[in-house]
Amino acid sequence: MTSDLDNTPESAGDRARTQAHHRDFWPSIVGYVAVLTAVLIWGGLDGDSPSRFLWALLPVVPALWTVRAVLRHVRRIDDYQQLLLLHGLAVGFAIAMIASLTVGFLGIAGLPMQGAGWVIYSAGMLGWLVAGRLARRR
Amino acid sequence: MNNQLKVLRETHGWSQGALADRLQVSRQTVNALETGRYDPSLPLAFRIARLFAQPIEAIFQLDDEPSVPATARNPGDVR
Repeated sequence: MTSDLDNTPESAGDRARTQAHHRDFWPSIVGYVAVLTAVLIWGGLDGDSPSRFLWALLPVVPALWTVRAVLRHVRRIDDYQQLLLLHGLAVGFAIAMIASLTVGFLGIAGLPMQGAGWVIYSAGMLGWLVAGRLARRR
Repeated sequence: MNNQLKVLRETHGWSQGALADRLQVSRQTVNALETGRYDPSLPLAFRIARLFAQPIEAIFQLDDEPSVPATARNPGDVR
């Protein structure tokens, strides 16, 4: 009896919260990819037009939409899930900080640091994702 | 902290998911509560006590306190 009761998948509430998050999150990602594609095609970021700076900042708009989706998700989930999310974020932040220090010092030492921002971003995001997954599996 | 959540849930014949829906938390949270990996917030502890019509201290005990069978308490004794 016990094992049958314990082996339930997500609850109805879990599914509703996940679906609500997906409805918020994925349109923002699609919007981000669409804007990024437009920037890469028409932005002329490697040109010399002053408008290229405006184009370069354009992906921030859908990125803010993604932040809004995450914040709304945080408000929907319960205390324990917020704690797990916080652990993941803390690990991601720590890794991003270590990566930025490492990249900074390597730059000072004379190593060419093309795309350093993307390295830091990727390290932080990866840290967040992996730590979040590990916390949920405990 | 120890708790009688699993015993009470099984007494009612509820799955973790069913209990999670009644408490408006995730199934993962119910699992973490039952396995002692997470101590509930005070509002959640009150919701659990109300749901099972038991006083909080009949469901949750500190590690150094003797465990009292929750089902042995008076169901109407909710604080």
